[in-house]
Amino acid sequence: MSNTAELRAEVKRMLVDNLMLQVTAEEIKDDQLLFGPGSLGLDSVDALQIVVALDKNYGLKIPDPETARTVLQSVNTITAALEQHGVTQR
Amino acid sequence: MPHRVILITGANGSLGLAIARAFLDEASDNLVWLGVHRHREQAGALATVHPERCRLVSLDVRDPASWTAAVAGIQAAHTRLDVLANNAGVHADELLAMMKPDTWREVLAVNLDGTFHGCQAVLPTMISQRHGRIVNVASLSALLSPPGQTNYAAAKAGVVALTQSLAKEVARLGITVNVVCPGYVETEGLAAMDAAARQRAMATIPMRRFGQPAEVAAAVRFLACAEAGYITGSVLKIDGGIF
Repeated sequence: MSNTAELRAEVKRMLVDNLMLQVTAEEIKDDQLLFGPGSLGLDSVDALQIVVALDKNYGLKIPDPETARTVLQSVNTITAALEQHGVTQR
Repeated sequence: MPHRVILITGANGSLGLAIARAFLDEASDNLVWLGVHRHREQAGALATVHPERCRLVSLDVRDPASWTAAVAGIQAAHTRLDVLANNAGVHADELLAMMKPDTWREVLAVNLDGTFHGCQAVLPTMISQRHGRIVNVASLSALLSPPGQTNYAAAKAGVVALTQSLAKEVARLGITVNVVCPGYVETEGLAAMDAAARQRAMATIPMRRFGQPAEVAAAVRFLACAEAGYITGSVLKIDGGIF
């Protein structure tokens, strides 16, 4: 498994653990939208928890709502932001 | 490890000190941080009496950077923060027609902005913990809107609204947010009133006595305790029966 794939898997586990989702990490698709119609069904409080978890676990700060909207679209976009931040794995 | 870590703002005033004492009495291993700004003599004296359990932290509640530094210091010491009591407040009473914009802004900055900054500063820690208690100190003025207090009443009414809105936002994260509204309590503000004004105030209180800071502090401590875990967004009047 590549570093990116491992990081993606880690992000999925983070989502399941922090948000107490009723799906397994394996059931979340890489490009599945997190918010909105046809998505994983997350809401703004879930987003808040993800922002806190990204900061706490990886030191990635989401400074404003606009950045949050960009970064928190899917597992892929979160993983890309982490890699851009210099994270390979926790 | 301390039983609970508590941060109280405005801790040099009589109400802040009473809240600190209430938490010190609650458990012998509670650790209380006393947020102080310009004045720290009384808080310093309390910390001297409880050197292992009471610490002073410089905190200008109007300044987000000051909050960041204060919470970072507490986090560094304990890696947790269980309770925030947003108690710092000022009033500068004046008829609106005569009120200078700076007077309006300062009262809003301390009472309302300070509460906002405080909640924002502690939420990441409390969300990570999936546990936290925020108790905001508003005032009966938020509900009665007396003349001469447009700035103070507006700020404290804002604190009530902030409390209830935030309570809904973080309810499922194990964090409760409540607000107390003290009436006439024997604090510095009441002491500054002249005898005639005190007499007029007393006449409006069904219990015919002023409240004690310890009676407000007991309510703050209750709203922050484990047994109050299902209470959030509540507005608790502590006023001897005025309504």
